[in-house]
Amino acid sequence: MPSPQMPPIAGSAVDPPALRPAIQDATIERVAPQNVRARLEALKADGYAMLLDLGAVDYPQRVPRFDVVYHLLKLMPGAATVSQVDTPQRYRLLCGVAFEHPRVPSVVDLWRNADWAEREVFDLFGITFEGHPDLRRIQMPTHWEGHPLRKDYPLRGPARERSPRPQFANKSNLVAGTPPSGRTAEALAQQVRLRQAEDGRSEERVPE
Amino acid sequence: MSVLGTVSSLPLEPQGAQILSQDGNAMVLSMGPQHPSTHGVLQIMLEIEGESVTKAEPEIGYLHTGIEKSAENLFWTQAQTVIERMDYLAPESNSLCYALAVERLLGITDRIPPRAQQIRVIIAELTRIASHCVWLGTHGIDLGALSIFFYCFDLRENILDVQEAAGGARMHPNYVRIGGLQADLPDGHVERLDALVKKFPGRMRELRALLQKNPIWQDRTIDVGTVTSEQAVQWGLTGPALRASGIAYDVRKAFPYSGYENYEFGVPTRTEGDAYARFVVRLDEMEEAMRIVEQARAALEPGPVMIDDVKVAPPPKETIALSMEALIHHFKVVSEGIRVPPGDVYQAIESPRGELGYYVVSDGNNKPYRVRTRPPSMYNLQALKGIAPGNLIADLVVMIGSLDPVFGEVDR
Repeated sequence: MPSPQMPPIAGSAVDPPALRPAIQDATIERVAPQNVRARLEALKADGYAMLLDLGAVDYPQRVPRFDVVYHLLKLMPGAATVSQVDTPQRYRLLCGVAFEHPRVPSVVDLWRNADWAEREVFDLFGITFEGHPDLRRIQMPTHWEGHPLRKDYPLRGPARERSPRPQFANKSNLVAGTPPSGRTAEALAQQVRLRQAEDGRSEERVPE
Repeated sequence: MSVLGTVSSLPLEPQGAQILSQDGNAMVLSMGPQHPSTHGVLQIMLEIEGESVTKAEPEIGYLHTGIEKSAENLFWTQAQTVIERMDYLAPESNSLCYALAVERLLGITDRIPPRAQQIRVIIAELTRIASHCVWLGTHGIDLGALSIFFYCFDLRENILDVQEAAGGARMHPNYVRIGGLQADLPDGHVERLDALVKKFPGRMRELRALLQKNPIWQDRTIDVGTVTSEQAVQWGLTGPALRASGIAYDVRKAFPYSGYENYEFGVPTRTEGDAYARFVVRLDEMEEAMRIVEQARAALEPGPVMIDDVKVAPPPKETIALSMEALIHHFKVVSEGIRVPPGDVYQAIESPRGELGYYVVSDGNNKPYRVRTRPPSMYNLQALKGIAPGNLIADLVVMIGSLDPVFGEVDR
């Protein structure tokens, strides 16, 4: 862990990708959620046959707050030699999603592998994919509350008591200031407060 | 808020293989997460009729350790230590990809010393062979071919010895660093490497002799888990799984990095798309990897292995006793970490399992803002949903093995 004596350098950028000319690793485009589906359909028809990845980024101080990022690859099916594959191209589509309406149309019917990727974004960021056939948590346990990869989610998360523990383990939990069961939003908020009071600085940005 | 004596009231989740419900002829069965052939922590919910699978849904997340969240809370250089633990069978692939991504954000890609790049290629290709050794050994055990395991792990041990000599650790040496390498190769390392290169063809002949023409092996793997090229693209398969389905997409050829364009190597491809094709493609790939190692070894030129930039890499330890400035830079880089200009970048490499990509965002801080992984194992494993129905349960084990998932990476 970084030394507690050395706080992180403050004054970070609100919208980092907009700050400098993009690194040309792909064709980069930004779309609104209402257009993302049509744009992806057009790109697929244009030969971007493979959905490489679908992820998200959280920028708490920016409007819209989230970016859902699609990475596409242009690839000819049946290209059995390197020369036929030629020079594949990558396409990066960034879709800004508002905090108030974290909804994006699902693309599972376009690319089957979007299934788990969308579930993961739903699980870790709380963005809903409309039309997804089986949208449920994938990495975190079913009963989990909160979305861990959001920037206002504390690093250590809420403590959970799944099975009885020896007494000393429970004590160590108290010392750490974590609530006995973090299964409620209140416990989560309390933990954020405790942590802030403890080190007197806000490492995780907490919205008002 | 005393928690002493708190007893869990949560319902226990169904675990292990047990019959959950019965409806007509179909039966729902939970395979794993303790089943030995699921390579650790995979649970597959199956709907079966007799011995045939009608539906399969892998349930992942049992090994979720929040590596991406951890990485956001560590310095740029420290984050590499957790990132390296994603794909624990090919740790240096993760490190290399992450280092390349950060180097692009820093704008120092062109300034990485050639010797560092050559050693990176050697390490990456040795890692590929070692990872395929584990795959083949465990795949063999899954199918009842026990002896192959010992041949594979012996070869892997030789490779790990070479890696340990260079980086200081068998599994997670953290040898590839942002800006170059942790240290130069030690004395006598090249001779060790040469001995390995010399020994390798004989070892490969043994591996092939044990399995490639083995009728039992062929019976178990030919026409099992067939993926057509269209399906492979639909499911986002990459790496050997994609190439066994007839698409010669290899990141090393398509988007060269670390000087791969300077080496001559083939991209083994087959068109059958079954478990046997994936097996042959991986074996061929091991030989191609060794060809690259030989070429990189021959090209190895003397020189520095770390970028000469005090904002990225601390100055050499011996200079800090002589120069005040070096001492200050060393202190700053070590205690405060490096700072990376704001921006985002997607960097991919050809890991043993396929296209491993990192979408890294920096906000100008001394910690990564976001490290999104494109985990090849996760996408490869997901295809099981499409290819398992219609096959026997016994063949499911073959399919899992031939897709080669590593759960550190699937769950992260």
